Amino acid sequence: MRLRSLYLGLLAGAVSLAAAPASDFIIIANINRNYVIGSKIVTLNGLYQRDAAGAWRHFGSNDTSLSAVAFDPRDHNVIYTAALNGLWRSLDGGQSWRMCNDWSLTEARDVAVDPNAPDTVYLAVTDGVAVSTDCAQTLVRRENGLPGRGKYTQAIEVDRTRAGRVLAGCEAGIYLTEDAAQHWRRVFAATDTVNDLQQSPHDPRVWLAATQSAGALISRDGGVTWAAFPGVPAEHALYNITFDPANPQRLAIGSWAHGVLTSEDGGATWVARNAGLPGAHRVWRVGADAAGRLYASVFGETLYVSDDFGRTWQPDALAGSLVNQFLLLPKAAN
Amino acid sequence: MKRLMLPLLALLTAPCAVAQPSVGAPPPSRAPVPDADLRREAYHRRVDEVLHWRASGAGRPDPATMDMAAIAIKLTLREDLDLCSERVIEMMKDPGTGPFWMFPTVCVAYVGRDLLTPGARAAIRNAWRTTRQLRGDTENHWAMYYTSLYLMAELYPNEPAETWYSGKSSEENLAEARDYLVHWIDLTTSRGQGEYNPTHYIGEYAIPMLFLATWAKDPAMKQRGHMMLDWLFAELAANTLDGVLRGPASRTDEGSVIERWNSLASYFSWLLFGNTPPIGGYGGWGLYFAPLAKNYELPEVIYRIATDRGDDFVQRDRARTRRFWRYSDELSPAAYKTNYLRRDYAVGSTQGIMNDAIQGHAWDVTWAEADPRGKHATMFSLHPMSSERALQSQFVTYPEPMIKGVTFEGKPSYDSPDKVVGVSYYERVFQDLDTVIALYDLAPGVRFPHINGFFSKDLVNVTEDKSGWIFARGGNAYLAYRPLAPYHWMKYLHRNGGWAKEAEDLGGRLLVSPHLKNGTIVQAASVGEFKDFAAFQAAIRALPLEFKLEPVPTVKMRTLRGKEIAFTYGQAPKVDGKKIDYARWKLFEGPYLNAEVGGHKLTITHGRLERVLDFNTLTITDRVREN
Amino acid sequence: MKRFLAHSLLCGLLTVSAWAQPATTGPMPAPPTDFATDARRTAYLARANEVVQWYVDSIKPDNPATFQSAQIAAKLARHEDAAAVSARIVELMSVPQSQDMFWMFPWTAVSYLGRDQLTPEAKAAIRGQWKTYFPMRGDTENHWAMYYTSLYLMSELYPDDPAGSWFNGKSSAENRAEAKAYLVHWMDLATTIGQGEFNPTHYIGEYAIPMLYLATWAKDPEMKIRGHMKLDWLLADLAENTLNGVLRGPNARTDDTSVLQRWLALSSYFSWQCFGNTPPPASYGGFGIWFAVAAANYEVPEVIFRLANDRSEDFLQRDLKRSRRKWRYSDELMSPVYKTNYMRRDYAVGSYQGGMTDPIQAHVWDVTWAVPDPRGVHNTMFSVHPYASAQAMQSYFTELPDHMLALLSSQGKPSYDVPDKILGCSPYERVFQDLDTVIALYDIPAADRYPRVNGFFSKDLTDVTPDASGWIFARGGNTYLAYRPLAPYHWEHLLGYKQLPSKAGYKWERVDRGDKGDKLLVSPHGKNGTIVQAASVGEFKDFAAFQAAIRALPLEFKLEPVPTVKMRTLRGKEIAFTYGQAPKVDGKKIDYAKWQLFEGPHLNAAKGSRKLTITQGRLERTLDFNTLTITDRVTP
Repeated sequence: MRLRSLYLGLLAGAVSLAAAPASDFIIIANINRNYVIGSKIVTLNGLYQRDAAGAWRHFGSNDTSLSAVAFDPRDHNVIYTAALNGLWRSLDGGQSWRMCNDWSLTEARDVAVDPNAPDTVYLAVTDGVAVSTDCAQTLVRRENGLPGRGKYTQAIEVDRTRAGRVLAGCEAGIYLTEDAAQHWRRVFAATDTVNDLQQSPHDPRVWLAATQSAGALISRDGGVTWAAFPGVPAEHALYNITFDPANPQRLAIGSWAHGVLTSEDGGATWVARNAGLPGAHRVWRVGADAAGRLYASVFGETLYVSDDFGRTWQPDALAGSLVNQFLLLPKAAN
Repeated sequence: MKRLMLPLLALLTAPCAVAQPSVGAPPPSRAPVPDADLRREAYHRRVDEVLHWRASGAGRPDPATMDMAAIAIKLTLREDLDLCSERVIEMMKDPGTGPFWMFPTVCVAYVGRDLLTPGARAAIRNAWRTTRQLRGDTENHWAMYYTSLYLMAELYPNEPAETWYSGKSSEENLAEARDYLVHWIDLTTSRGQGEYNPTHYIGEYAIPMLFLATWAKDPAMKQRGHMMLDWLFAELAANTLDGVLRGPASRTDEGSVIERWNSLASYFSWLLFGNTPPIGGYGGWGLYFAPLAKNYELPEVIYRIATDRGDDFVQRDRARTRRFWRYSDELSPAAYKTNYLRRDYAVGSTQGIMNDAIQGHAWDVTWAEADPRGKHATMFSLHPMSSERALQSQFVTYPEPMIKGVTFEGKPSYDSPDKVVGVSYYERVFQDLDTVIALYDLAPGVRFPHINGFFSKDLVNVTEDKSGWIFARGGNAYLAYRPLAPYHWMKYLHRNGGWAKEAEDLGGRLLVSPHLKNGTIVQAASVGEFKDFAAFQAAIRALPLEFKLEPVPTVKMRTLRGKEIAFTYGQAPKVDGKKIDYARWKLFEGPYLNAEVGGHKLTITHGRLERVLDFNTLTITDRVREN
Repeated sequence: MKRFLAHSLLCGLLTVSAWAQPATTGPMPAPPTDFATDARRTAYLARANEVVQWYVDSIKPDNPATFQSAQIAAKLARHEDAAAVSARIVELMSVPQSQDMFWMFPWTAVSYLGRDQLTPEAKAAIRGQWKTYFPMRGDTENHWAMYYTSLYLMSELYPDDPAGSWFNGKSSAENRAEAKAYLVHWMDLATTIGQGEFNPTHYIGEYAIPMLYLATWAKDPEMKIRGHMKLDWLLADLAENTLNGVLRGPNARTDDTSVLQRWLALSSYFSWQCFGNTPPPASYGGFGIWFAVAAANYEVPEVIFRLANDRSEDFLQRDLKRSRRKWRYSDELMSPVYKTNYMRRDYAVGSYQGGMTDPIQAHVWDVTWAVPDPRGVHNTMFSVHPYASAQAMQSYFTELPDHMLALLSSQGKPSYDVPDKILGCSPYERVFQDLDTVIALYDIPAADRYPRVNGFFSKDLTDVTPDASGWIFARGGNTYLAYRPLAPYHWEHLLGYKQLPSKAGYKWERVDRGDKGDKLLVSPHGKNGTIVQAASVGEFKDFAAFQAAIRALPLEFKLEPVPTVKMRTLRGKEIAFTYGQAPKVDGKKIDYAKWQLFEGPHLNAAKGSRKLTITQGRLERTLDFNTLTITDRVTP
């Protein structure tokens, strides 16, 4: 869910950039030098937004442990972040925060808001899924259908076309609910963790998944059935996968072992695109902005950007950072 | 994250240049002090030594020497109160995050509740509003985090959500903290400690529990703190040989696993039992126990367990592993500990379980030394497992980055083939009294396909016998080590904790057996049991022993104590034809500590003294039994 | 015997107090507000250290008389000047010893405090006296507690010495066995049918100090825990019976001073030391040092500390105690004592049922009110029959009849045989208490030595108003009092006692403080009675409203053939009480036979149980002498 899909009103098929609503480009970056839990944080970590001048502006709390962020589509001052402590919520654009969970939830991996039922928030944690129906004031576990073991949940993504339709990337595979997590069923079996799930901004029936040991997957029926991309190696973990919001044929994968893999034919063929990245090109995440610029966060290095979808890379800002999420956030209606 | 604690210790101990009397002094007498008043006076003298050492190393003209430990101690001693307040205000301008910042701050907030200026108290309080605190990812983190949050919420009751970093009111914070602490205590007193017998992290439990026992206003939490403190120290007492914590550890490090004395646990043994020297800087964290130490009285029954090694004893205990978030059928499988203590040596083990991905220690034979400082008084073997999957199972990480990360973050040996710290998926252990059998069935393709046996620099008369046994003597213990597959020797190179990159030669050797199907047998005896070393060797040679390594390692043998042992990798061991049924093990079972699984009740016994900690009724009962 | 010893020792120690004692002369201690373990412990140890420091400071290098056993103990407790201390011990032990068990327990303490500090010569000098000096065992329970505790501990310190090395010709093992057997017997008695010398104003020290020594130094874990448990028991009893640290209500044994100025008692030292809620008396009560030198080895249980300090809610406790042993002229060796104790924030009312519990020093009942600072204040009201009887003395003492009364004055009991005395109990008094109403009835034979009743009216009462109704109204602190004599009376000045210098026993002069002093309501009638009722000032609009309420209560009484009262109390209870008969409340007879050892919201123990449960809020401590267990529980 690295590229949060909040494209309400987007229709299937190619959409010109001009037709896309104006968006904010937001990342979660940890610039976490020699940080020891309990020590002073000497760097700014957490939420950054790219401003008009192309600079990254920090906002919200300085937290080294954020793994994901989601916004209420009605009001972007309502922010949810998944973190080591669990789920943090801000109602004032990041000025103040509440830790929404108690001790029974920890090490949240992902968070998602249902765009069609925006009071409903889904939280992926190390041992399952928790759901709130009151903007995270309260959270309850909803794991009926998830396995007793094997429900380490790394990714959670809401289908923007229907309220309560959610996919979860777990240790044991991909799970689907169509009733707001009252019931889950497995739609893809994995032996290791499913690391990322993405819904196409162009065609909501199209979903992508990045896994630890089953390669990269595509579903063309809204996540009910899945097939591996034959051109993507499966022997190493894939950390995340992204669409190019500007071009439905363009896909990219971030991987420690392979660096950046891209496809420009809807996933039929894949090419490693690491020219200009540091030698080891240990890519932590890839992401794309509204203009189709590709970004790569390289482990322990700076952020890199490519204007030619990975053919060449140039260093960007945020030296020494790890970016845990790239988020293209449409401007709120109000 | 938690792995990075040791460097903090260094920071805490750095400012103090003055002598630490007990650290450099000859080892203390191990003779128990039976008289309560003399025992208490000696305990208070040790406490005062810590307080005065730290206080003398801090203050003007270099206020930087006034860290939170020094401030807490100065406040306790009623010294430099103005400077304490000034430093608190200064330090609160740039607060830390997480449990290791929280509990020292709580300590200062309470010790200084009547001594700090209103400005200093307000500065502390304000930091708890402005600075988000990370809860961490281990049980010790949470014990510190929630104890600190609980006490601060009690110190500042009825304050609204916006005045706390958590965005929750005092009452919400208090309830959440109480609920977790009760849950953790419930789990520990029914299924055992998670981070059992840790060489360093005992401080992260003992200090919060002392805080609760001293300061909690809710009498139930106060009582729980007191009872858990007794519980922790009873376990420490039963697992130490002359104050040295040995045997299996849920979490330890390179320094402590070979120099068993060199751990924070020794500070607590010194302070409470007086039977071993403390480590340098009193272990760093010891500085946060000392200001309150006089508010705790070690129960005599625990003191006697710690200091009486007149009779051999066996304790069988249960514990829990660290949580497996994935790649395991169980969240927190049981660890079954066997602990055999004698005057001259001790033998301890678990059944061989992956209890901690990085810092576990499965078994050893450790012998008594007149002065344990600098001595590597221990023998064991292990499979040096380094596994991305193992790390992933307990950490929220991707496979590739963490191994490298670990080696750069305080565990330099993690990915080294010659490491001596850690447990393995592929090790199974059985112990009967002073015989240990460790069997290995390493999966093909495993990163380091060999077994390391640790042979200390402090062993003497190491003798490779044509029988296949390797005989040696450590202190007053004779040792016999039997590798079950061919081996070669290599120099042991030590990578200390922290960020040490270079391996240093401290002496000692590794027995390296590069075979997937493998095993180690160790037997021990007191020197006094045999006419001479040769007689011990002859006795070992005379014992029937059969083993095979295919299809899986299996051993049939008679021990020095006359027991017939049959042990096959992956199967229940048999003693004199009877299967060991771990499912029937109690939480604690032995002459000193007894508790039922799920019982929430520990009975501590020594001689006629008995103390019962019953968490069901929140009762502490001291009893003197009839003659 | 004991009377002489106790007072001589106390006075001896009191006389060394020529310099400041911070807590004694300072302001009233603030009521404890921080109940955290560290706050309580720090304050407790600071108080003990104040005592020890005061004794250390009392040593004048040029005056060996200021360097006695107490100063030696203080020095040893501080680990100071072991050589000088040892030398002084050798000097002190080089002359014949005296004071019996009052010698034994201090030197036992010194022996233990110094066992790792004193020179072999000093230790030998003390040990030698246990062979050559013959301390008497005494004739009271407190004597025996001190005697046998000391003997027990010394025989443990020197465990294998032969009979010839001890003053009593018994070996260490024999002495240890005898001492243990008695102490266990005494604890057994006290924990089944009650304390003998119950709630003593001074003698609490003679029990608490030996018990602390057992708890601290006994090697036998059984005796160690017994000492600890009995110390808890004593302090719980003290906590229940103190109002802001002041022990009031009935006492097995008190004296002419403490019965008026209730604070001025050794018990106030223990309240100060253990509860921190009242100043200690001068010289810390004389005996305080002997607790202070070992105080660090004891922690006051929080439940007892809170019980002593929390007077936010009224409570009623009914306890069972024992009288002193009557060797003759009695159908029973020891009589049961049924104590009623009603405690409120502003005042407390306490009593037992009357009759004899001790021949000389008992105090049967009183109403005592709270004052901001109790020092010098006579904040109590009661009446007595001034009973003096050679036969009564003989029943407790192995004496011949004729000389005892005359001797008592010279033995420190100047008031025993005077008609205006206010100390002591009487076989002709019957008392009943319901909450804050006390009815004391008297049926004194005409031939009695002093056929009269003395009612004590304090100098600190205000608005004393004899009313046409027969009631005498008054106010003490925040308490309204109503006193009703049942027979005609007149007023006298209560003369005090001034001790005169004397080398041959005590000599006394009576002192008249005039109208500023205390007054005595003297009712010279054998058939007699007193009714007292009390209420908080806050319960009434004003004093007149209180008086009106009292006047409005139905009250009937007659004195012939025996005094009898029928009345409704301020609390709406219908009381019927006739001398020699069981009292009735709302028509129901009081059955003392059913009383438990302790019964009330804070202390509970069944008769014969050997088991006391101490409760305060959610805290509970149980002392079970059957199983030798101490159990601390926090109730949900």
